[in-house]
Amino acid sequence: MDSSDLYHTQQQFTLAAYQAIIQQPLPDESSSDYTPSLLYKARSYIALNKPQSALEIIPTDSDNVALKAVSSLARFMAASDSTESEAALEELRDLAVEIEGDDAEASEKDKSLVRVLAGTAFARAGEVEEALETLGSETEDLEAVALIVQIYLSISRPDLAKKQFDRSKRWAEDDLLLQLIESTIGLVTGKDNYANSSSFYTEQIGNPSLSSSHLLTARGVIRVLRGEIQEAKSDLDESLQQSKEDEETEAALVVAAGLGALKKADAEELWSKFAAKHPLHPLVQDSNQKAEMFDQYASAFIQPAVAATSA
Amino acid sequence: MSVMLTKFESKSNRVKGLAFHPTQPLLAAALHNGSVQLWNYRMGVLVDRFEEHEGPVRAVAIHPSRALLCTGGDDYKIKVWDIRPQNRRCLFTLHGHLDYVRTVQFHHEMPWILSCSDDQTIRIWNSTSRQCIAVLTGHSHYIMSAQFHPKEDLIVSASMDQTVRVWDISGLRKGSPNQGGPGGSNAHGQGAFETFDTFSTVKHVLEGHDRGVNWAMFHPTLPLIISAGDDRVIKIWRMSETKAWEVDSCRGHFNNVSTALFHPKHELIVSCGEDKTVRVWDLAKRTAIQTFRREQDRFWVLAAHPTLNLFAAGHDSGLIVFKLERERPAFSVFQDTLYYVRDKYVRSYDFNTGADMGLLSVRKFGSPYVPPRTLSFNPAERAVILTINSENGLYELTNLPQQSQGEVKDSSADGKKGSGQSAIFVARNRFAVLNKTAQLIEVRDLSNTVVKSIKPPVQTNEIFYGGTACLILSSPTAVVLYDIQQQKTIAEISSPPVKYVVWSNDSALVALMSKHTITIANKTFSQHSLVHETIRIKSGAWDDAGVFIYSTLNHVKYCLAQGDHGVICTLDNPVYLTRVKGKTVHCLDRSARPRTITFDPTEYRFKLALLKNNYEEMLYIIKTSTLLGQSIIAYLQQKGFPEIALHFVQDTNTRFELAIECGNLDVAMETAKAINRSDCWERLAQQALKQGNHKVVEKAFQQTKNFDKLSFLYLATGSKDKLSKMQKIADARGDPMSRFHNALYAGDVEGRISVLRDVGLYPLAYLTAKTNGLEDVAAEILEAAGLTEADVDDIPSFGTSTLNPPPVITPTTDLLWPSVSTGENFFDRALVNGQLEGGVEPAYVNGDAAAAVNSALDAWAKEEEVHDDLDPEEGGWELDADGGEFQDAVEAPVADAEEELGAGATPGPNETELWVRNSSLAVDHAAAGSFETAMQLLSRQFGVINFVPLKPLFLTIYRSSHTYITTYASLPPLKLHIRRNPSETSPSRVLPVGVRSLASIRSELTEGYRFVSGNKLAEAKNTFRSVLESLLLVVLSSDEEAKQWRETVTAAREYLLGVSIELERRRVAESEPDNLTRQLELAAYFTQCALQPPHLQIALRSAITAFARANNQAHAARFAKRLLELKPDPKIVAQARQRIAAGDRNPRNAIEISYDEFTPFEICAATYTPIYKGSPSVHCPYTDAAYLPQFKGSLDPLVELTEIGASASGLPAAW
Repeated sequence: MDSSDLYHTQQQFTLAAYQAIIQQPLPDESSSDYTPSLLYKARSYIALNKPQSALEIIPTDSDNVALKAVSSLARFMAASDSTESEAALEELRDLAVEIEGDDAEASEKDKSLVRVLAGTAFARAGEVEEALETLGSETEDLEAVALIVQIYLSISRPDLAKKQFDRSKRWAEDDLLLQLIESTIGLVTGKDNYANSSSFYTEQIGNPSLSSSHLLTARGVIRVLRGEIQEAKSDLDESLQQSKEDEETEAALVVAAGLGALKKADAEELWSKFAAKHPLHPLVQDSNQKAEMFDQYASAFIQPAVAATSA
Repeated sequence: MSVMLTKFESKSNRVKGLAFHPTQPLLAAALHNGSVQLWNYRMGVLVDRFEEHEGPVRAVAIHPSRALLCTGGDDYKIKVWDIRPQNRRCLFTLHGHLDYVRTVQFHHEMPWILSCSDDQTIRIWNSTSRQCIAVLTGHSHYIMSAQFHPKEDLIVSASMDQTVRVWDISGLRKGSPNQGGPGGSNAHGQGAFETFDTFSTVKHVLEGHDRGVNWAMFHPTLPLIISAGDDRVIKIWRMSETKAWEVDSCRGHFNNVSTALFHPKHELIVSCGEDKTVRVWDLAKRTAIQTFRREQDRFWVLAAHPTLNLFAAGHDSGLIVFKLERERPAFSVFQDTLYYVRDKYVRSYDFNTGADMGLLSVRKFGSPYVPPRTLSFNPAERAVILTINSENGLYELTNLPQQSQGEVKDSSADGKKGSGQSAIFVARNRFAVLNKTAQLIEVRDLSNTVVKSIKPPVQTNEIFYGGTACLILSSPTAVVLYDIQQQKTIAEISSPPVKYVVWSNDSALVALMSKHTITIANKTFSQHSLVHETIRIKSGAWDDAGVFIYSTLNHVKYCLAQGDHGVICTLDNPVYLTRVKGKTVHCLDRSARPRTITFDPTEYRFKLALLKNNYEEMLYIIKTSTLLGQSIIAYLQQKGFPEIALHFVQDTNTRFELAIECGNLDVAMETAKAINRSDCWERLAQQALKQGNHKVVEKAFQQTKNFDKLSFLYLATGSKDKLSKMQKIADARGDPMSRFHNALYAGDVEGRISVLRDVGLYPLAYLTAKTNGLEDVAAEILEAAGLTEADVDDIPSFGTSTLNPPPVITPTTDLLWPSVSTGENFFDRALVNGQLEGGVEPAYVNGDAAAAVNSALDAWAKEEEVHDDLDPEEGGWELDADGGEFQDAVEAPVADAEEELGAGATPGPNETELWVRNSSLAVDHAAAGSFETAMQLLSRQFGVINFVPLKPLFLTIYRSSHTYITTYASLPPLKLHIRRNPSETSPSRVLPVGVRSLASIRSELTEGYRFVSGNKLAEAKNTFRSVLESLLLVVLSSDEEAKQWRETVTAAREYLLGVSIELERRRVAESEPDNLTRQLELAAYFTQCALQPPHLQIALRSAITAFARANNQAHAARFAKRLLELKPDPKIVAQARQRIAAGDRNPRNAIEISYDEFTPFEICAATYTPIYKGSPSVHCPYTDAAYLPQFKGSLDPLVELTEIGASASGLPAAW
């Protein structure tokens, strides 16, 4: 059984309160919570896209497969070119194979964590099939399920995601993560006007024991989806006040602005700022790609001369 | 005179009492043999029997609101029954009467039961406490009937003592009569009678009958009483608060009158008597109207239905239920109007507006008590022919008034009458009349003179319109289509007597309705089908799709042209269908009031689509409605469409059955896996074998571990390596027979020998070795058997064995025999991934050709998409695993199946693909990121060819339609798609959010107006351009919005044009100040743009100034006049007047310009020159701006988007 501190950390991690986890001091090294807490802290750094900080806190000499996997993931995230990232992926592949062996000493928990981390990296690398294979469709690890569900959703298979979720409902009871998974599915399918997702995040925002600007952002996004643009804007603004310059929140705000939360000119300005600041955000990348496509398609139309203005 | 319209008749013992159920078609009959029957007179079935009375039962009543029946018999008992079928029983028995009970009745609101008896008492019982609460004494002989007043606290009773008495029981309601009742205190016993008398008093005693009185009742609304007696007279009495007196008598019955009733609705009296007649009397005139006679049976009792025009009479050998008049209203439908007769008025009813008005009175036509039977409408002359049954059949031809006047005229004024049983219009100025007795059909013209007489070829009872110049003749055994002109029979269909004929809307099909059959025929009667109904058919009408909707007594049903029929809904009361429109049935009810019934046409639409192989519509129906259930599956299966039924079924077992039936092996395999029972696998193997799909067979055999067959299959398919694997498996299983088999199939001689040796069959092993030339092996065997060559030299020598498996000529291992097409049918395509998706809207949805085109395009697109999903399943179950451990191999497919769920998940249709598929609006395609199709749409719809200015818009729209959220640590964010209507989740209807709303664009337009007012023309020009660009990519949701959209486009165009002209003028003024002509022209054109008054004022004032300065006083004055019309400020008015005065003084123009304000013109948006009305011009396909013809094909300079003069389809209606 996890200690209550660890449980709390886990909740925070699930709800993306990464900043809070990072700020927490680690327990004593001899404590049994030490490694798990360290893992969460490292993963929080990675989630905040600070893989270097994660690498700093992970001891290099550890035998723990989970720690190894985390540092691999951190290296993967930190990789600046494809060889580095490929090397990190290879490490994760090796780890994933290693834990499959009968002689692996790692605990079940560590093994599943390795799979989750490897799966994360694979998913990021676009290796959907490999990620799913690593995670295994029969897994009883909720984190793995969360990953699988998201992967399914990302390839527009909400039906399979739903199946996975239904399957895990049988053994996972009412875990917070399970609710998150359900809400995630709801975000994609839009069932009942996003009621489920909306109430999940609203509920968690009201949760007194933790606060995470991510929750506000998520609710903002849901409100955008529900067409409540002004409300969404206020959520997103509030979220931005709590954690300034959060990439995701800004991205959502750009969308809300485009949908009429801001005046046209302001929206354009916001967008160009965002695009300049986060050139790697999928919204920016996607948009740029579409812009190129636009030029390409538009050039397919043969343009006659403009009718002369003076006859 | 007409006969009684008997609805139901039953044979039984003598009927002495009758009671109608107030709401259900039930009738209780008390029989002389002690039984009480409960009949359903509509279906004609005996619902129940209550047989606890001893001796005859005379009294019967049904509770007005509860399922209770009360009976009273000659056993002095009154019994109350629960008649609900599930708990029918005698609830309780009331004891007290000392002689036969004659009548019982429930009170309409109090829990009271009224009874009267031969013991000369009337008793009132409380049905809750089950006690007698009042005993009314006074009559001095048998009391034959007692009835409550329908509203007041009165009772009327009739007795053999020749009196009718009216009792006041108001005391009973006020007091608490239960106390001291005889049941409550036995001490009082019979002596307690006096106590009751305080509650009730005799109010009136009506004396006048010379014999005993059998029946008396109150009028439902008037202060009248009717009584019937053994003196053969029916008497009508009137009563006031204080007295009652005889009004009149009806004489005519020549024996005892049993019952006389007031008609519940009309001013009629109905009576019956022992003279075997039922008679109808006019209440006002007290004259007999009709008499129905029966040969044998004396009538004993009569009952009226409380609300319907229905009566029941009990006689010596049973009962009859009858109507006094036909309820079927005469009607005729022409286009959207129904002409019908109600209460002897011809009325018209508009199906669309529901306007219902009286047009013509036919009160004086025929008997006042008989409604007209048929109505035939002639739209050309706006005339009607009515027929009526009275006086042996009459017809009357009358013109309807053109407009409904204040006073409705009576047909007797100018109607043309004649006698005939059936009369219909056959042409614009001809009508046909049938004289049944003479068997003559006369064709008459509108002045009622006979122009032609026809002798019908068959015994004709009725004639109907039969199409142009044709009649349909209804004979007792057939219907005949008869050509009037040629006077010959065209076709004949044998049928029971046809009573009604209904033509379909396009006159291609006709429904011939008789009592129990409907014949659907085409217009030449060359094809027909028959529907048989056990219940009476009442009426029918054609659906627009060619489905015949008809009503029986208790159902509305449909019937397809080929004869399939089914129930649409049930009816409480019969209705007469007049018109079917979409989901609405228009009909007339029994009192001839128009009403509508909405129903669900899904089922028959689906069946119709099935018949017509209209898969698109079927799919649409499957998608949009809840058409499920066993019946439709059974129907599909029965009609030979198991493959379609397959798509309705979720249940694995049924799916398997259906899949086997339609040979869909893929589905069968899938479901067999789910079921995983050996018998399923066997059936799958059989079916697959039939279809030649040996891979499926192989899999099925593997599943059932049918090794022998599997081996044989491998032999048959020439799969040697698999055979060798089977050998290994057989080794592993240690089954010598199987090993031998496999060795034999594989042509493995050593294998065979070793099997034979292993099982100790040395002789066979030896011979096998010998005959296959394996001498040393043979020697080895001999040695092993402990023998020598010499021991076996008596064996005859056999030649070399030729036993060998046939050589493989064509390896079929990987080939599948061309089998039943695995059916990549429409449904498979539509139902990829097991979900209903796709936006194939059938073309009829909004009757819009564009929709049809789009759906066709979608279907194409879909075809292309699905191909990759149709890869036949891989051989999953590869036996190349080296170990040859069979168990392992069996495990493999299971793992495989799981893999499919896991790693091999193929991406589903992206939401953006759905958006593209679901919409024909460019903006939706842009939002989905499908810029290419968006551009194509824009180019097709608006002729846009230059997209560069639209780029920011496209990108903004795309960007604003998607949002990202990271739901789990470190994963790439999930892309979410913002929908237009968040509550819509069906994949076939989701659409992207509308990024720009019409309202927001209109506010931008207003901003542009402000720029104009503020003289910031360059900014204004940009704004108007941007407005016009945005308007291309806006989501509209209604006709209203589309109209606004068009207005906005036009306004923005006019302003853009105006601003451009003014800018050009300023440019000219700056660069070529000498070109005054051009400057003036441009100033004048600017005033011709459709601007709003404030802006037009600016234009006019600037023009006035310019023209005045150029000394073109006449023009300046014209502009000033126009300015005045706009009612500007007083200051400006004064200036304008000065200008006009100046113009009047000097009506000349110094500079000649090309400007003729008196001929309407458009302004070429490229050259800013006028295009006068009548001159050729081309237009911008989007803004409709005009251009000189030479610009056709160039890019429009105004918004720089479209190709001038290109053809465009315009904005599609997507709502």
